Amino acid sequence: MENAIELRELTKTYGTRRGLAGLSLEVCAGEVFGFLGPNGAGKSTTIRLLLDLIRPTGGTATVLGLDPRRDGVELRGRVGYLAGDFVCDGRQNVRTYLRFLAALRGGVPQERIDGLADRLGLDQSAKIKKLSKGNRQKVGLVQAFMHTPELLVLDEPTSGLDPLVQQTFLDLVSEAAAQGQTVFMSSHVMAEVEAVADRVGIIRDGRLVALDTVAGLRAGTVRDVRITFADPVPEAAFAQIEGAQQLRLDGHGTTLTGRLTGSPDPLVKALARYTVTGIRLTEPALDELFHSYYAGAEAAPRTTPAGTATTAGTAGTAA
Amino acid sequence: MNTAIYTKSLSDSRRSLLGWTLGTATIGMMYASTYPSQKENTASLPEAMREALHTDATAAGYLQTSVFGLIVPLLATIYGTATGSRTTASEEESGQLDLLLAHPLPRSRLLLQRFGALVTGAVAVSALVWVAMLAVRGSADLTSITPVEFLAQCVNLALLAIVFGALATGLGAASGRRVVVLAGTAAVGVLTYTAHAFAAQLGADWLARLSPFHYYIGSEPLKHGFQWADVSVLAGTAAVLVGLGTAAFARRDVNS
Ligand SMILES: Nc1ncnc2c1ncn2[C@@H]1O[C@H](COP(=O)(O)OP(=O)(O)OP(=O)(O)O)[C@@H](O)[C@H]1O
Ligand SMILES: [Mg+2]
Repeated sequence: MENAIELRELTKTYGTRRGLAGLSLEVCAGEVFGFLGPNGAGKSTTIRLLLDLIRPTGGTATVLGLDPRRDGVELRGRVGYLAGDFVCDGRQNVRTYLRFLAALRGGVPQERIDGLADRLGLDQSAKIKKLSKGNRQKVGLVQAFMHTPELLVLDEPTSGLDPLVQQTFLDLVSEAAAQGQTVFMSSHVMAEVEAVADRVGIIRDGRLVALDTVAGLRAGTVRDVRITFADPVPEAAFAQIEGAQQLRLDGHGTTLTGRLTGSPDPLVKALARYTVTGIRLTEPALDELFHSYYAGAEAAPRTTPAGTATTAGTAGTAA
Repeated sequence: MNTAIYTKSLSDSRRSLLGWTLGTATIGMMYASTYPSQKENTASLPEAMREALHTDATAAGYLQTSVFGLIVPLLATIYGTATGSRTTASEEESGQLDLLLAHPLPRSRLLLQRFGALVTGAVAVSALVWVAMLAVRGSADLTSITPVEFLAQCVNLALLAIVFGALATGLGAASGRRVVVLAGTAAVGVLTYTAHAFAAQLGADWLARLSPFHYYIGSEPLKHGFQWADVSVLAGTAAVLVGLGTAAFARRDVNS
């Protein structure tokens, strides 16, 4: 089997509200897929469709080669799921509750649960109700990972986690991927996904608007450049370089600064003819690219005061 | 078969179930114990009034109006409704159902095992009421009713709780909303109780046949023992309600 998830023209309407508007997407087995989008884009809707918690209005979804509706039980046995707003019965302590959830899956080794809880710093003797938001989120993470599922479907997994635990979580994802598990995780933040994801999909208004590898996305973005030369360089030396239209030489012809769009490769090749004394290329600002996809979303925040913004659907002015 | 849901439901509700069993049995026992002092009062009532109250001076007649006619079935109905609303509706409303239903179990199993726990509780409550009645049978002058006749009434009591539990379960499974469960069950409870109580006066016996209370006590199990037709109607009604609920639940979206 090649694809862990296959979505074809998936639509979902809630009464008259749009949930998804024709989403097609493939997630390969063994990859880490980052699923990004602004609030209300349809991320949670997609994820809940995968687990047969809700049913599509149109289109088809195939998960691990199974139809969620027909083979829901088998499918869910092979998937670990963390809901976007993880809530659970809070009356018992963490250990008892995790054991109950494990029993629903026919049992999970206690060492596995203990190991995960220890790594995340989760106190299993605490009553769930009394836990802080972040610690409750850890319960959700442990239950999603504990049975080492073939596919992890995680809806905003890092919400509420402190930076150290976020890092532990990213380690868990990398380890899962190294073992051949597939990870499908949604997020609002490019920075957290780009560290672990092989590919990223961006969804807006119920549709996929971008799909690429992290490297590919990066290739289309802008970097700040500063290069110094030992000897003055002819003014037109870099004029023909692809993506270098915004680069400028200073008066002495020894310092090149500005912004480079796309791959740095053509510029690097052109530089080889001169003696370079210093070079600085900043990391591409992926977030900026991401923002350009965010802006214009129906649900994106507006800078116009609420009273004047009467028509929904006009492009947002926030960016 | 994985019975984790059933076991957890029972263990989660063990305290409240203990309260229900002891409370219902104690109240039943207290009322039943007043029979010797109430006997004279009832006997002195005018004939027409006794008719209206469906009572007579016998032990069975007294228990049918007081203990088994009002207090205990009311408690059983409330038990069924409260427990039934927790089958799925409460958790669905608080968003907790997502987690359980993301596990490898069919929705029907969740529903049926929770309902199974409800049935277990209803049986426990009724069983203790039966034990309580046997305990005061001698001292409260109730020996004209045999233990089997008591048992027949207590079985119907369990079934009454189960029918209302099934109604609450079904409404919750179909709608996912607690308010629908509570309003729906309360409305059905009041209407069917009224139908049972006043059908005779209205000259509309068919009306009583729509009421679970009719099958619960209408054939006077305290005098005539087990009425298998009534037992089947109650059990069948519960099965149909849960069945409909399960089908509706399997078909719809789970609210998050
Ligand atoms: N149960 C529901 N009833 C009606 N509309 C719904 C329901 N669930 C989701 N929606 C609508 O569907 C759209 C997509 O919602 P969804 O929860 O999938 O967004 P999301 O991408 O997960 O957003 P967020 O980042 O805020 O979690 C939204 O416009 C939302 O209002
Ligand atoms: Mg969401």
